[in-house]
Amino acid sequence: MKNQVTKYYPMLPVLAAYAALFLIGRNMSGMWQLVAMLLFYCALGQAFNIFLGMTGYVDFGYVAFMGVGTYGMALAISRLAHIEGLGAGIIVIGFVLAVLMSTMLSIAVGAVALRLRGAYFAIATIGVNEGFRFLIEGARIWNGSEGIIFTAQLNQILGREAASALATFWADLFVLIIAVAAALVTLIYMRSKIGYALTALREDEDAAKVMGINVTKFKIIAFITSASFAGLVGASSWALKTPYVFPPEVFEIHYTIEAIIIVLLGGAGTLLGPLVGGLIYGISKYYLSIFIPGFQLLIFAPIIIVIIVVFPEGVVGMLKAKTRNTAAGRFIV
Amino acid sequence: MVFEQLTGNLFQGLVLGAVYGMATMGLSLIFGVLKVVNVGHGAFVMVGAFITFWLFSALGVNPIFAIPVAFVIGLGLGLFFYYTVIQRLIKAPELATLLATFSIGVLLQEVVKLIFGSEFRGYNWTVGKIDLGLTVLPVSKLLASLGSVGIAVLLYIWFNRTRAGSAMRSVVEDSEGARVCGVNVGAAYAWSFALGIGLTVTSGVLLTMFIPVGINPYMGGGYTLKAFVIAVLGGLSSPYGAFFGGLVFGLIENGSYTLFALLPGVEPFALTRFLSFLILLIILLIRPTGLLTRK
Amino acid sequence: MTLLQLDNVTKRFGGLVAVDHVSLEIDAGQFVGIVGPNGSGKTTLFNLISGVFFPEEGRIYFEGADITRMPPYKRAPLGIGRTFQIPRPFSSATVRENIAVGAMFGTLGKKLTVDDSMDVADQLIEKLDLTAHREKAAGTLTPVEKKLMEIGRALAMKPKLLLMDEAMAGMHPSDIDQMVAFTRQIAEEENISIVAMVEHIMRAVIGMAEKVIVLHQGAKLVDAPTQEALKDPKVVEVYLGGSGGR
Repeated sequence: MKNQVTKYYPMLPVLAAYAALFLIGRNMSGMWQLVAMLLFYCALGQAFNIFLGMTGYVDFGYVAFMGVGTYGMALAISRLAHIEGLGAGIIVIGFVLAVLMSTMLSIAVGAVALRLRGAYFAIATIGVNEGFRFLIEGARIWNGSEGIIFTAQLNQILGREAASALATFWADLFVLIIAVAAALVTLIYMRSKIGYALTALREDEDAAKVMGINVTKFKIIAFITSASFAGLVGASSWALKTPYVFPPEVFEIHYTIEAIIIVLLGGAGTLLGPLVGGLIYGISKYYLSIFIPGFQLLIFAPIIIVIIVVFPEGVVGMLKAKTRNTAAGRFIV
Repeated sequence: MVFEQLTGNLFQGLVLGAVYGMATMGLSLIFGVLKVVNVGHGAFVMVGAFITFWLFSALGVNPIFAIPVAFVIGLGLGLFFYYTVIQRLIKAPELATLLATFSIGVLLQEVVKLIFGSEFRGYNWTVGKIDLGLTVLPVSKLLASLGSVGIAVLLYIWFNRTRAGSAMRSVVEDSEGARVCGVNVGAAYAWSFALGIGLTVTSGVLLTMFIPVGINPYMGGGYTLKAFVIAVLGGLSSPYGAFFGGLVFGLIENGSYTLFALLPGVEPFALTRFLSFLILLIILLIRPTGLLTRK
Repeated sequence: MTLLQLDNVTKRFGGLVAVDHVSLEIDAGQFVGIVGPNGSGKTTLFNLISGVFFPEEGRIYFEGADITRMPPYKRAPLGIGRTFQIPRPFSSATVRENIAVGAMFGTLGKKLTVDDSMDVADQLIEKLDLTAHREKAAGTLTPVEKKLMEIGRALAMKPKLLLMDEAMAGMHPSDIDQMVAFTRQIAEEENISIVAMVEHIMRAVIGMAEKVIVLHQGAKLVDAPTQEALKDPKVVEVYLGGSGGR
């Protein structure tokens, strides 16, 4: 039994870090905005890591799941606003719809792409975000390129004050909860057969198969899990903070790039990596934007290339190797 | 009326398709020789477009003369990124090269954005129009198309008639065998990558003839996607397959645009882009090694 | 009792026939040596049995059930384990985790928790004398240690049939003797059929094998009890080069 508890020790630094972020944001004036941004990047990293880090497959169209999640929340609020008595329950419906839609898209994409190996998988995913964006715009689904604006509905249901509190505080708190949940799921996977199967298939897919591992099944589990967290991030960090959704914005490949940077920087496949990567990237972006606004990728692109070539294990990966078999190592996973 | 419009547009599609094909040959060459997917492909197309734009608007250089300049710059970029990055990742997991080429693409975009800014740019090279019966075509587009065919033919000759070319071909077929036969596989890798990037940057020059005001640091993304559709149409590791894939893609793109435009309540441009993505998925599902390849 | 049966199995790659109408039977608990020079189709035969490829012709039965087109991940839980010619460890995972993966998805997989699998791994690590390497990343092991670990990983599956691809190639003769003794002991204890594939007729394998199958250019040349097979003129021809060879 004690063994079962010690297995989850690595959640302690994760919880401590998120608690510290929350307290800093609440208690130091003017810090909440920065904290909110950091939470967004950490959550994005935690979610993306479940697929990229654990399977070793890269989904270049990942932002599409955030996009449809945003649409899930937007559709729930804009289409159900007229129903009396839903109140804040509409947000819950929005989250459910966001998860459903991102899961469905991930099943559709996964059904094709996850049959393919390595490079072909990457090629199949590279257009998912653009493809879905152009489907929405081209076939004029959900208002097509005009997007959905639901500020009025949100104000009508919750009242102006609550809607504003939702955008400036509650949405960010939801992101924090999503980040913690994604980290917890990552650790649960790592400690279960799922995690061992994913490690095996990431290292040698053919050997994993003859060891009795149904690689497609485990890839799909990781893909859907990762996608549904992305949907939740989109629904709260985008839809609830800024009550509108435009296809070119929510399917912008820029966010896939940021997710890749965060995961690689922190250490792909580690629990703490996305948190560390998210903090480094978010803080750098925040301060870089003061000196050279909009050019953080100019700095990070070469950094990432160096990381891939020189230390592909990332910051936490290196720490993990250093602390292996030490007391600290029990907490760093 | 519709039929005439369709044949006209299909012809235009063929003209553009030749350029698309040429623009994908570098991608296929790199995959064929190194088994590396250049996810940053579109960014190199963008570099070619900016070279053309800059030479024309700052120095008044005729776009035709931008071709050799772009090719040489492309070779240089290719060698630089090969020796600094790709060479160190040849034996690494596939994920590493995918992420590295992707990051190289991002880096190029950001460098170009730093130099030129992120607004859309264009240049105006007027050399008249020509009536080809089926359709009226700007001479610049016709030249770009013929230039693409010419480059493809030159590449074919180079591959089949020169020592370096046949060494490269032998690496595509069997890199171990080639090594045993005394081919310097390392050099073949480096020069294939350089040649692939050179071709891709050059294709950026030719593509500018079709996009009068579409030059922008982020223009590459769309071309990366198109190039992948074309490459899987023609077989990912065959530069000639890619060239014919380009022709087919040009036809599909212009043909479907014309037909979508007839549908009420849709945006034909966006639907055409969606269709190309759908084609990619379908081909990958039924025949990932390419439709135009023999088994 | 017949454990594995191949009935007229053929596998082609393009125009090349890698395995040519091979039929064979392996009994439960039997130790069989498959011998053949490089390119004789041994590895392809293993890949057909473990499900990496499917044959164009013929059928494969395991414990009487047709597994010809069964995906590989379903064969392992039935009791088919294997090692590879060049070891293929899950490099970033520790030795203990590697071996535990075998237990997790092998014949007892459904009944074992992760912790149970770790216990299985610990027992094997002790038997294989890998205790010093238990927590090392598998990628950092020496080639011989990797081979040992891979054998442990396969044994953790509790297989009924263990396919060993050049398991002892590259090992020091004294290590081979130790390895052979160990494998034999485990095989007897747990009634595992072992099919060991070797390029040359090795003393170690011949010492153990009840039966030897010789492959030549994809086809079965000889299939006989060991002592008989060694005297077979066709084996002498292939291995000693016949007339005018060396």
